Amino acid sequence: MAIINYANKEVQFKIVYYGPALCGKTTNLAYVHSQIAESNKGELVSLATAADRTLFFDFLPLNAIVIRNFKTKFQLYTVPGQVIYNATRQLVLRSVDAIVFVADSQWDKMEENIESFRNLEENLARQGLSLDTIPYLLQFNKRDMPNVAPPHYLDFLLNDRAVRVPSFEACATTGQGVFDTLNTISRLLLVKFAREAEAAAVRSRPSGSPIAGLAAGLRQPQPNR
Amino acid sequence: MASTPILTLAGAEKLLKSLEEFLDKSESMFAMVIDRGGTILSQTGRPPESADIVVLAALAAGSFAATRELATRVGESEFNALYQQGSHFHILMSAADDDTMLVAIFGTQTTVGLVRFYAARTADHIAIQMNELRAAVHDAPPIFTEEDLNATGQVFENTPPKV
Repeated sequence: MAIINYANKEVQFKIVYYGPALCGKTTNLAYVHSQIAESNKGELVSLATAADRTLFFDFLPLNAIVIRNFKTKFQLYTVPGQVIYNATRQLVLRSVDAIVFVADSQWDKMEENIESFRNLEENLARQGLSLDTIPYLLQFNKRDMPNVAPPHYLDFLLNDRAVRVPSFEACATTGQGVFDTLNTISRLLLVKFAREAEAAAVRSRPSGSPIAGLAAGLRQPQPNR
Repeated sequence: MASTPILTLAGAEKLLKSLEEFLDKSESMFAMVIDRGGTILSQTGRPPESADIVVLAALAAGSFAATRELATRVGESEFNALYQQGSHFHILMSAADDDTMLVAIFGTQTTVGLVRFYAARTADHIAIQMNELRAAVHDAPPIFTEEDLNATGQVFENTPPKV
């Protein structure tokens, strides 16, 4: 859940980039870091092995828009994709507000994509969370590779749920789709945050209040696309 | 898992007062309260030069969580503090509750025993304050609405630095 700080007039969110090994999670953060103005970004920290594979996490703090005088701040994390680091992935998922699932578009990576997606669901469940309640989207990365599955096939594999989430084709090395992904997940998160706060405010009013009915409307599931 | 607190002005002031008192008595250089996700809730003092405290908080949360997990896996249920000894600066991390911890950075002007002693007491105070803040979550008004969001542009601007 987001942290609201009335003293500093800021609200902070945590977004985790999840996905199989070598799918491009770290590359996404590196591209974002290279494109954001100096004043709006912190240091990109990578806890990596000697071979530059993520060992614990990558971390990038960002300042975003100001809404009603409240600064919005986002902390972007990646998880290590390698199967053996599951305990670490569980730690990084703590207090997560939204997730970007980065899939590798190459045909021979489909099994790893599915395995990683299932692993995400399991790890969220261990924290009492679920993809039904947490904002997330899919990024189909490595579209520049020669042997890639079509987006509709990736959607069929990973997005075949009651509510389909947005999906983006990307090539994180060139930046294609990276900011579309980040802006969309951030907005989904901010909308969820605003709706929940409004619903809570309505609930706390007396039941005869003329706007009490608004709460019911806010609780209706909204299609993402 | 406890709900995440909302830092009201009064709540933030109380936390800061506890930290300042801790800093004064333990003779530490810098102290902060962070949540287990690595977000800073309160801070005071002067961190070592060139240290980015946002990064320090994220790393402290990760480090503490990893060591606690390690302890759990060898059958140790008690894990309240983590101490890193350096040659110039030392770091003590103390759990306040399941979701919050106190991080203190101190130099050679004080001792780990003194810092530990006051950290344990301060962590208890922080735990009480965090409970009060969590209880206040339901009274907080929305800080912005969906309508406000619709009136804004992109959340992040893709503005590459000039070469």
